[in-house]
Amino acid sequence: MPTTATDSESSTKRTAPTRADFIRVEQFSFFYGEKQALSKIDLAIPEHQVTALIGPSGCGKSTLLRNLNRMNDLIEGVRHEGDIRIGGTSLYDPAVEVISLRKRVGMVFQKYNPFAKSIYENVVFSLRVAGRSKRAELDECVERSLRAAALWEEVKDRLHESAFGLSGGQQQRLCIARAIANQPEILLMDEPCAALDPTATLKIEELITSLKQRYTIVIVTHNMEQAARCSDRTAFLYMGTLVEHADTMKIFSNPSEARTEEYITGRFS
Amino acid sequence: MQETFDAPDPRRFEVSRATLWFDRLMGWLIRCGGIAVILAVFGILYFVAKEVVPLFRGATVAEAGSAQLPPDAKVLGVDEWGTTAFSYHGGSTVHFTEIATGVRHEHSLAGFEDAEVTACSFDPVRARVAVGTANGRVGSFVVRFERKADDSGGFEVVPRVESEPWFRLEHGSGSVTAVSDGDSGATRLVAVKRGEGASANVAILRLSMKRGLVGKGKLTLLGEHDVTPLLGSEARLLRASQNGMAALIACADGGVRYLLADAGGVSLRQTFEPFADSVPLSMDFLFGGVSAILTGPGGIQEQWSLFRGSEDAERLFGRTKSFPALGDAVPVFASSQRNRTFLTSDDDGGVALRHSTSGDTRWEGEVGIDPALAVMDAKGEHFLVADARGGLRRFHVHDPHPEAGWRAFFGKVWYEGGSGPVWQWQSTGGSDDFEPKFSMMPLIFGSLKGTAYAMLFSVPVALLAAVFSAAFLPQEFKRVIKPLMEIMASLPSVVLGFLAGLWLAPILETRVPSVLAILVLLPLTALAAGFLWCRLPIRVRNRIAPGSEWWLVLPVLALAGWTGWIAGPLVESWCFTCTDPATGGTIADFRLWWPQATGTAFEQRNSLVLGFMMGFAVIPVIFTIAEDALSNVPRPLTSAAAALGASRWHVVRTILLPVASAGIFSALMIGFGRAVGETMIMVMATGNTPITEWNLFNGMRTLSANIAVELPEASVGSTHYRALFLGAVVLFAMTFVMNTAAELLRQRLRERNRIV
Repeated sequence: MPTTATDSESSTKRTAPTRADFIRVEQFSFFYGEKQALSKIDLAIPEHQVTALIGPSGCGKSTLLRNLNRMNDLIEGVRHEGDIRIGGTSLYDPAVEVISLRKRVGMVFQKYNPFAKSIYENVVFSLRVAGRSKRAELDECVERSLRAAALWEEVKDRLHESAFGLSGGQQQRLCIARAIANQPEILLMDEPCAALDPTATLKIEELITSLKQRYTIVIVTHNMEQAARCSDRTAFLYMGTLVEHADTMKIFSNPSEARTEEYITGRFS
Repeated sequence: MQETFDAPDPRRFEVSRATLWFDRLMGWLIRCGGIAVILAVFGILYFVAKEVVPLFRGATVAEAGSAQLPPDAKVLGVDEWGTTAFSYHGGSTVHFTEIATGVRHEHSLAGFEDAEVTACSFDPVRARVAVGTANGRVGSFVVRFERKADDSGGFEVVPRVESEPWFRLEHGSGSVTAVSDGDSGATRLVAVKRGEGASANVAILRLSMKRGLVGKGKLTLLGEHDVTPLLGSEARLLRASQNGMAALIACADGGVRYLLADAGGVSLRQTFEPFADSVPLSMDFLFGGVSAILTGPGGIQEQWSLFRGSEDAERLFGRTKSFPALGDAVPVFASSQRNRTFLTSDDDGGVALRHSTSGDTRWEGEVGIDPALAVMDAKGEHFLVADARGGLRRFHVHDPHPEAGWRAFFGKVWYEGGSGPVWQWQSTGGSDDFEPKFSMMPLIFGSLKGTAYAMLFSVPVALLAAVFSAAFLPQEFKRVIKPLMEIMASLPSVVLGFLAGLWLAPILETRVPSVLAILVLLPLTALAAGFLWCRLPIRVRNRIAPGSEWWLVLPVLALAGWTGWIAGPLVESWCFTCTDPATGGTIADFRLWWPQATGTAFEQRNSLVLGFMMGFAVIPVIFTIAEDALSNVPRPLTSAAAALGASRWHVVRTILLPVASAGIFSALMIGFGRAVGETMIMVMATGNTPITEWNLFNGMRTLSANIAVELPEASVGSTHYRALFLGAVVLFAMTFVMNTAAELLRQRLRERNRIV
């Protein structure tokens, strides 16, 4: 998947109707050594929508998410079966450069993790590693990203101060700004509000809703209300298998599977 | 059963006595341990300070008795133990005075009965008084003391005088007005002046003691040389050197003539004018006969020594030191017979003990009389001063380390015989009059040089290895590498030193061009291989799992190393050709080329060998700690960077290195500490020459190696012994300062890259 082709493709797609199977997970199984974490998942994630992955702890939802940008490659002794395709191209195609894949698929982590740098440098990190250092371009990127992350007004006067001076919620929004600075197509969020208080959580949720205009978002969450509030589609995973995948409205009002209903009504977790 | 349920054990909230007791015991044990450690550290500091502090103390002098001599003594002497003074007043008797009791007795001199003595001089080293008479004869006598046990269990000093043959002077006329005698035991020289004013005549007598198999030898005159024409001006002061071959003669024109006597006669070697036109007030040789102390008008005191101005020049006198001025009076002078200390007086009756090598004044003070004569005993424990009326005072001197002091240890010192002030360490020598040289600077330099080369070799390797292991290498190899490195760290350094000195050094000696070729080829090949790898299509690169690329580069690097090794002799024959001093032909040999090209030495045991072997000691230390620091960078940070599309190298450069910088810095400092303190490798691989040269191809002597090498041969309490302890203090101070500075820097680094 040559990067240039991807860019032109995505820019034309912005105006085109959204593809229902932008990300396709096909018969995907994943193993940590001997332990199987995912078995034969089939899932189609539509473009420009928020897809929530829910399920009890250890069900494999984070593993699935982290496979979408091959972050799991960094772990020793993992292997997979099946395939994942983004825009029709397999992630495991020998011609795929992992680095450019990760530029295409941004990620926000559970615990906010800004670098020990200034707010400004945190945001432009992905541009810097790509070798872009024109001041005007960086400035433009910082303002655009921070505005998109609804943080600009709060930090515009202290862009060059340490990112650690921000509150937890601000730091997480900074991490979102950092993830979207290079304008990826997909944004993965691994329980982005788990370490935040309710006010900050609310802000992040509003942010997610506003971001889906431009990005395809996949979010892992433990919080049923959150999934219900800000996702368009929801996938319920249980013990490494996909139990149900449907519109969020449907999952939360009328799930087809009994286990889904048991889970969302809190009968087990 | 119902009751037991309702009434739980009332003691269930109590703590058992055993727990409390044990808790208290452990608390005290830990406290004792902590205090013991602190005490031990202070104990070591106390011990080291106790050994070092005396080096920086001056002499202490205390009056130890007085006595009355007959007035107008011309010569004052004393026995080895400072108990009995003798004085000579001209004539045929020598007066001995026991200082403790004041008892005086006379010894008459055989053959002096009809001598009218007009001049005399005293050589304290040989305890010989040389005399000249009104009728032009020159003679001498020697005073000897024997110590015998007396009835009361103490000792009695029994003096004896021995007259020596007379010689009648052939040259000149009139009475002898000055005489000076110098005797090395093998050759002896007497300088004599007859007459005064324009008609004065100076002669040099060369004497030889022919030793028979039994009994005393016979003193024979080898020759009398009239040196008046050589001088060209009237002689005022005559001093024969105790080497029995040279004399200094100060003349009325202010010039001092340096005369050298040998079998061919007497020749004038040099005329120097220490005080322009003024005649020196006093001129006396120091112990060893190589340096003279001259006092000029106003009491300016200077040391003039024999040295070679350049490699192949003649040894001539030159000014080597100046001492504080004394005033206008002619100073009394007495030289120590053990070291380069001398006694001199100023015009207010004050006396100073000065050390000629360091230029320091060891002691200064009043002696209560106006000194006219002074003498130091052979052990250097006493000095005696006498005034013109015969009042004698004895002083006890306690100065165990006269050659020590700030200047001697850290300043440049002009040693006797040297052509300029230098930093030099040379603790032992072959002869009695050898001066130990205790400069710390070559050793400090050696330590810094050794450390610098060790770090130069090990830091790049260790840090790159740590980065590679922490950020690139798959876990399975990491699990092997770290314990391997720790085994490497546990290799005894004596084994490494042994390997360096006896195995590596001889190999490297002939293979320097190969090593240079490898040093150039290896990094270049690695870079080239990396570049080519990046040019390969992604399909090919994706076949190799990230982190396993090194399997590919390993044979390439091995090939590069092998090529470098093979190419060495070729490089040598292209670049390092020079003329062979043995045959005159052209030869390709780096060992000969290096000294000819750079003018510095090439030694087999050099800094290159040291750098390689120190690598074995230092690399594991730096590697292990740096690797830990890099591996401990929180995973979320590296994940975040990776998720933003950073390559592995980007993650290292932008995240790992800054965050781990404090830890890496500690690793470097601990490696530095290891290198500075390393002893056995330094001792065995460097040749231990205390030189101050950055040359890669010669050795050095470090502070630690110096202690290891010399402590066994230093006698306890000597200056040498204490100087070695001073080396330890300097080493401690160096590491302390470095570590403190490093710690401050590390704190700042940690603060800057704090991750919260």
